[in-house]
Amino acid sequence: MTAQPNNAGQEPLYETISRVLRHNIVSGRLPDGLVLIEGPIAKLMQTSRAPVQASLRMLNAEGLIHRFRGRGYLVGQASRNLTPIRKPLDEFDFDIPPASRSALAVRGTWLRVYDKVEAEIAACQIFGEFRVIETELANHLGVSRTVARDVLSRLNERGLIRKGATSHWLAGPLTARTLREKFELRSIMEPAALRMATDFIDHSQIARISDQIESGKAKDAAELEDALMRYCLGRAPNSALVEIINNNRLLLSAMDKALSDLGLPVDTVALDQYGTLFHLIGSRQINASTEYLREHLRILSYKSLARLKIVALIPESESIPKYLNRV
Amino acid sequence: MRGTDVTLLEEVRQMAVADLGFDIQHESLDFLTCQHRAAMDPLNYDVYEQCFHNLDIVWYWGALQPIDTRRIRQWDNIGDLAKAGGISKYTWHGHGDAPVRKLYVQPDGTLGQQPMPMISMLPTAHNVDSFGFDRRLFGDEGPEGSSWAWLLDRRARGRIALVDEPAIGIFDVALAAEANADLTFQDIGNMTVDEIDSLMALLETLRQQGFFVGSWVSPDQAEALVRADRVSVQSMWSPSYGNLGAMQGVFCESFPREGYRAWHGGASLARHLSGSQLDMAYDYLNWWLAGPAGALMARQGHYMTNAEGVREYLSPEEWGYWYDGDIARCDLKGPDGRIVVRAGQRRPGGAYRERVSRIALWNTVMDEYNYAARAWNRFIASLGTASQ
Repeated sequence: MTAQPNNAGQEPLYETISRVLRHNIVSGRLPDGLVLIEGPIAKLMQTSRAPVQASLRMLNAEGLIHRFRGRGYLVGQASRNLTPIRKPLDEFDFDIPPASRSALAVRGTWLRVYDKVEAEIAACQIFGEFRVIETELANHLGVSRTVARDVLSRLNERGLIRKGATSHWLAGPLTARTLREKFELRSIMEPAALRMATDFIDHSQIARISDQIESGKAKDAAELEDALMRYCLGRAPNSALVEIINNNRLLLSAMDKALSDLGLPVDTVALDQYGTLFHLIGSRQINASTEYLREHLRILSYKSLARLKIVALIPESESIPKYLNRV
Repeated sequence: MRGTDVTLLEEVRQMAVADLGFDIQHESLDFLTCQHRAAMDPLNYDVYEQCFHNLDIVWYWGALQPIDTRRIRQWDNIGDLAKAGGISKYTWHGHGDAPVRKLYVQPDGTLGQQPMPMISMLPTAHNVDSFGFDRRLFGDEGPEGSSWAWLLDRRARGRIALVDEPAIGIFDVALAAEANADLTFQDIGNMTVDEIDSLMALLETLRQQGFFVGSWVSPDQAEALVRADRVSVQSMWSPSYGNLGAMQGVFCESFPREGYRAWHGGASLARHLSGSQLDMAYDYLNWWLAGPAGALMARQGHYMTNAEGVREYLSPEEWGYWYDGDIARCDLKGPDGRIVVRAGQRRPGGAYRERVSRIALWNTVMDEYNYAARAWNRFIASLGTASQ
């Protein structure tokens, strides 16, 4: 790690997280046997997963938590034969002390900048392959390198960047091959998620969306796709699957956004298809709706390949941020 | 009318104005600018004249409206090359996007080859291209014909030029690289990212070894390169062979043994057209197939989809040379009245049927077009323009 001035807000994030977890374990708020998984903790503390992983390793080394045969860690010592308790953290009066809260808030800076960086990095990939320069990113955002590193590690988790052979961060290129692979994944995962979500869908919500489409109020295919994710696929009782589906869509929606920013007109055929899809879901026709979703994705994939060709008309933007270097 | 100088000839415009009785304005652009503006600026033209291979882009932008074939009087006389993909069921249709794959508007709004009453573009002028070579260097073709390999031949080092249009230029060099066994493509009409990378790496190596004079954007630049004797082999299109001055007969059109790179032009209707404007646009489309325009196209070497309709507007000598592959019995004039073919010449490749049954691939906007075109444009920029 690069040496950083270690003042209040600049303590490594995993230290802060460890302190909060330690406080909750030692004070007995979290019972022995409770399963700790990094995802929900990261969400609760509004951070990325990497520092949570680091802090769980630290607490493990301290003997406050231990590994078990399942995913994650169990609160308490390894020697005792504990039965795993799987419950959300917020059922246990989880407490973040004010000092840590403000430290996390400072560290939360990156969350405020994250969305912007995510959009920029997703959007650049239609132009080719880029190297992400960590120091330039920190300068660009006006944050420390540690924060920049947090941002990059989250981007990596979400599959938007990767480490190259020389351990530089690389993004892109978004090619027809990437697109095809992402749509293949979609057609495997999304109909499955829809089927799993059947019993968890709020049908009054679906009826409202159907009404909006029918009355012509819903004019944006991207919004309907988000609604499908939020109210249908996202309800599947398998958070790992939902997360993969979400991440897999990131680049695709970035490309759609780049094109709609250029003034690509509304795809009315897609709007109609969403109308049919929500109607099928709303009337609980499970087989028909998963089949229809698969067909909808097939057509969407074909159109996306055609649209990727349109991207060739977009000149490589001068607004590509300085922290991205063409490979 | 927005299009390229392939079909937007002043002679065509004057004839159409005289026949149709309304004024027509031409906006002739290079391929890339043309498709760019057709997509981004769809209100400022009524008819879009371009090639099928870059229709995808403009179509999926939503800038065009479907053409009702029931309003096209000559529809039934349009040949199977455009409507079915090849002149007969048994001929090889070529790699890449044969126009039929983009012709019919499918019920879901996409373009496909399942016949439908509505089409995306009315197929008009088309041709098969090869490259031009200097017979002083390569000699005569001989019975086996020439090979695309010549386009990247070491003997021509320093005297090679390429066309800058990515959906065309990439295929010229890909055919050449495959013909001389430098590279192989699993599907040359739809290259993978790795194949594109290999092709671009090869071109960069050759560039560093000084193979290329440069690139050209418009056919007159290509002709100037030949007249100035600066190239021994280059990408070249049919109409140019009649404009080579003293180099005519020295710089020849190749008849490559691997087959041709084909293209198909057409005309599409802008989305905004309706009412009487739409009627006028249909009149114009029908006029394209009425014969006289096809005769003009023939005189610069291009074919029309309803060839028999063109025949009565050509002299028997013209028909014989351009369509039947006969030896020219007299000098033949081009669209602007200058002589482009001398008596005694025979069209390389022969008759229409012979030439179009030897299509290796079609000009294509491949799936990886965005990736390929960006790589190609960087390469072209590194070459500089040959005419400067």
